[in-house]
Amino acid sequence: METPGETSSAAARTSPIPLPLRLVFRDPMAAAAVVFLVAIAACALFGPMLIGELVEKPNFRARNMAPFSLEQGFAYVLGADTLGRSLLARLVVGARNTLGIAAAAVLASLLVGGALGLIAGYSRGVLGNLIMRGADIVMSFPSLLLALIVLFSLGPSIPNLVLVLAITRVPIYLRTTRAEVLEVRERMFVSAATALGAGHMRLLFRHIAPIVMPTILTIGALDFATVVLAESSLSFLGLGVQAPAFTWGSMVANGRGYLASAWWVAFWPGLAILLTTLSLNVLSNWWRTYSDPHQRWRLELAKRSKAK
Amino acid sequence: MKLRAKLAARAAGTLVLGLVTGIAAVQAQEVTIVLPEQPANLEPCRSIRADIGRVINMNITETLTDINVKSGQVGPHLATEWEQVDELTWRFKLREGVTFQDGAPFNAEAVVASINRLMNPALTCDSRSKFGDVVLTPSVVDELTLEVASDIPLPIMPTLLGTVQIVSPNMPFDQEVNEPVGTGPYKLAEADNEHILLVRDDNYWGEAPAVTEATFVWRSESAIRAAMVETGEADLTPAIAVQDATNPETDFAYLNSETTRFRLDMQMPPLNDVRVREALNIAIDWEGMGEALFGADVIRANQMVPPGNCGFNDALTPWQFDPERARALIEEARADGVPVDTDLTIIARNGFFPNAAESVEAMQAMWSELGLNISVQQLEAADWVRYLDKPFPEGRNPTLFQQQHDNNTGDAGFTVPVMYTSEGQYSTVENPELDAIILEAMTASGDKRCELFAQAFAMVHDEIIADVPMYHMIGFVRVGPRIDYQPDLKTNSEVRLSEIGFKG
Amino acid sequence: MFGYVFRRSAQSLIAVAGLLVLVFFLSRLTGDPAYLYLPLDSTEAQRQAFNELNGFNDPFYVQFGRYLADLAQLDFGTAMSRNRPAMEVTLEAFPETLKLASIAMTLAIAGALVVGSLAAAKPNGFFDRLSMTVSLAGASAPDFWIAIVAILIFSVSLGLLPTSGTGTPLHWIMPIAVLMLRPFGLLTQVVRGSMLGVLTSPFVKTARAKGVSRRKIIFVHALRNAMLPVVTVAGDLTATLVNGAVVIETIFGWPGIGKLMIDAILRRDFALIQCTVLVTAVAIFLLNIVIDLLYAALDPRIRHQAA
Repeated sequence: METPGETSSAAARTSPIPLPLRLVFRDPMAAAAVVFLVAIAACALFGPMLIGELVEKPNFRARNMAPFSLEQGFAYVLGADTLGRSLLARLVVGARNTLGIAAAAVLASLLVGGALGLIAGYSRGVLGNLIMRGADIVMSFPSLLLALIVLFSLGPSIPNLVLVLAITRVPIYLRTTRAEVLEVRERMFVSAATALGAGHMRLLFRHIAPIVMPTILTIGALDFATVVLAESSLSFLGLGVQAPAFTWGSMVANGRGYLASAWWVAFWPGLAILLTTLSLNVLSNWWRTYSDPHQRWRLELAKRSKAK
Repeated sequence: MKLRAKLAARAAGTLVLGLVTGIAAVQAQEVTIVLPEQPANLEPCRSIRADIGRVINMNITETLTDINVKSGQVGPHLATEWEQVDELTWRFKLREGVTFQDGAPFNAEAVVASINRLMNPALTCDSRSKFGDVVLTPSVVDELTLEVASDIPLPIMPTLLGTVQIVSPNMPFDQEVNEPVGTGPYKLAEADNEHILLVRDDNYWGEAPAVTEATFVWRSESAIRAAMVETGEADLTPAIAVQDATNPETDFAYLNSETTRFRLDMQMPPLNDVRVREALNIAIDWEGMGEALFGADVIRANQMVPPGNCGFNDALTPWQFDPERARALIEEARADGVPVDTDLTIIARNGFFPNAAESVEAMQAMWSELGLNISVQQLEAADWVRYLDKPFPEGRNPTLFQQQHDNNTGDAGFTVPVMYTSEGQYSTVENPELDAIILEAMTASGDKRCELFAQAFAMVHDEIIADVPMYHMIGFVRVGPRIDYQPDLKTNSEVRLSEIGFKG
Repeated sequence: MFGYVFRRSAQSLIAVAGLLVLVFFLSRLTGDPAYLYLPLDSTEAQRQAFNELNGFNDPFYVQFGRYLADLAQLDFGTAMSRNRPAMEVTLEAFPETLKLASIAMTLAIAGALVVGSLAAAKPNGFFDRLSMTVSLAGASAPDFWIAIVAILIFSVSLGLLPTSGTGTPLHWIMPIAVLMLRPFGLLTQVVRGSMLGVLTSPFVKTARAKGVSRRKIIFVHALRNAMLPVVTVAGDLTATLVNGAVVIETIFGWPGIGKLMIDAILRRDFALIQCTVLVTAVAIFLLNIVIDLLYAALDPRIRHQAA
């Protein structure tokens, strides 16, 4: 009789689909998350080209139209906003700005914060302290004031918005990375590697960094939502992305006045944000289980129970 | 025994009921008003600002004259009569038997001190801005008579003095304060970060108002303000957004004396061509947009003062939505070599008025239909204001500048010169003929004055087409079931407690 | 230990000083206050007079010198927009935010510890999926959206709670509930992730083999070791709350320091901006010192480093 391990490796030898993908699709939640993320990525990439005019041109006859009716055509199935523009169209097109801004900000702050955190945690001297105090300053600098200053002096453009959002997130990655490095560098394998002659950089980036990665990526996935929501709060205060550009966050912020009378204007983009974050998080949890050698058996076991 | 007990019980019951209704009756004279923002401070010489004026004006402090919003006429208040002695001087007779809330006598000396305090360079008195750079020299004639002299003729001195709050001479002259003392029907009882309490002053010279105590609170979200009146936590809110004004029993629309427009950079091509300017005016679906964004009661504007104002020209016909003709005009201009493809920029201000951003988006979309290259810059107030006054920023694209102008004084003199003369601070117009008409209007008075301003408006609208007027804006109040309140042109910047009555 | 606290405090002071300098100069880059202070129809002469009066025409370094001189006498300046001493206004508002933030964070942390640990005990089980979804949903919706909907439902429709403001304990329920949703959601995820790692480590397996009870393993042994990233994230979240409860404060009319700061920023009230930044910065630095001490308490290895 074949053991599960033999089954999977046999399957691995013969199937053209890579193992991670197959395992993902065994788990219904993770599978749903992948499908959703692919869908909105597609919206982000192709949406603006396909939808075009519906997004910008006001259509006063359809203003604040309620959802779930096909009166004005399929495009209006999710309802329309104050200017009568199709919410479905705006959701699809808005994916690009939303995901783009959030991804850019998270990536930037993750890389910068992670790198600085590695150094700060590893260094035993002044450098570490300096970095941490710098992080303290950035963290205490009110994000609103920073947003105002950057957007006022450099102009309210999307790259500047990304800059503001990224700067405010750096300390979080920095501190978390540093905390993990502080703990990891005391472990046996580090002393072993040092004894074998590994240099600092090699230790940091080849040995310590991979251990620290999962936590940072978990935070990154969660941070994605925080960035989208922070951008939404900036829009609430009038400092976010400027019309006619829009993101899901700004749609929610601008639609908040209609929650009592036309709830759909703020609801659908809010739901989109929620589902995106949920999907990212489900996937990141799944990936964490997958990448941890101690935990992967849970995923593979799931496969066996289905085969029964 | 039983009978006595019953009688006693009944008596007790009546007593309790009396007490309860008595208490209820007393409490029924208190109101809670929820404002859109916290007054930054309570300095009377800054009461031209709406956030401060709502609490102070005609409640704690009063003015010499009062502008009747329905007729646009200036009426007596703390001053009973006045006359223009010569070109530069006005004489005012003051009301007898008035005292300040701290006991100081109301007389010419006190008024002179108030006016001088307003002009005191050591203070930042916002209300001073109504006077521009004019220097006022008030002087005492006798106990109840004073003269106010100015260095240039001010035919509307009585109107202007309607903005000057008269304060007790005991108030610090060189310092701004948060404890205003005036002659009004209400005294300031408490003020902290969450509320302001005004209590009726029984020594008031005029008729005692119905409201005995008023508590002002503030919430910046319109939905919350509307909710507070709905749940009974508040009795009145002077400003809610159009989308929250859903209950016709409690929500009333009112002209709030603001008029919106886009100012055009008339001296820069292609905006220097009158065909382009006309096209901009007729490319917008005014009815559709107005109803969608500002409410069905909003009034299309042809000029920058509200109806009822001296100078308002009711003979002007509005530009009608005609996109075909607009396109034709642009093509015509293009054929004549006008550079209609130049990049144009809309300068808009964040949170200017409800649905301001949406209106800008809509208008940009409609103007782009004409084939114009027009983009939007949404700016924060401090940034937007750089484009408001001359000198305008160098190196800019020809701009369409979003503007909202308030005029509840009843006189177009606060609007026309600054917007349409060649020297006007906000003006992009350079037309000598118009300048002459306006100059004449400024020095005239009475009907002649109103006629001349009306003529100026007609010229601006029909001949020059200097701007794109939008709407006379409306505000919405929500009035709780306990009270009786009619909003008017001044409601946006003043909440007169004496105008609040109680039902039943 | 005291040496460590002293050193950290000294470092923090330098950082606060750096922050103040930054805020001082950067906020003055945001434009001419005369334009924002005075009414729009003010004349140029009036604006000039205003700037002269308040010393805004002097070069930056002169203004800064004046500011330092005042600071030395503990004079934090007057909040121009309010006619009151800036520090007085700030110290009135700060405790209001602290009240909200501390209660919200305490509830969030406690809840996250319980829910996250239980979720990690049976990964991918029903409770795990449910709690993860629910907590994440709470963390993913914009707070102003939740606040307004909550007010519409609980105050307007059901009449159970007051819409806004402070006063009775009832007034605290909605602001705190909305404020704690995001920290609770985030922290639950972090606790779960961290616990997952710890629960599979050798020492836990040893404890299991020795027969230690399940509950003891989770809450005594595992939790302690999983706390490091939790402490970090919780600390960051508290700092963000102090700085950023502005949305909740705006909607619920809560007179806290977030709302004060944004008002000051939008009005260019420099003295008030500097004061609010100073107070929140000091609070955050104190918080960070506490967190560092917590690190040392939790992990002996770090303790030896820090000493």
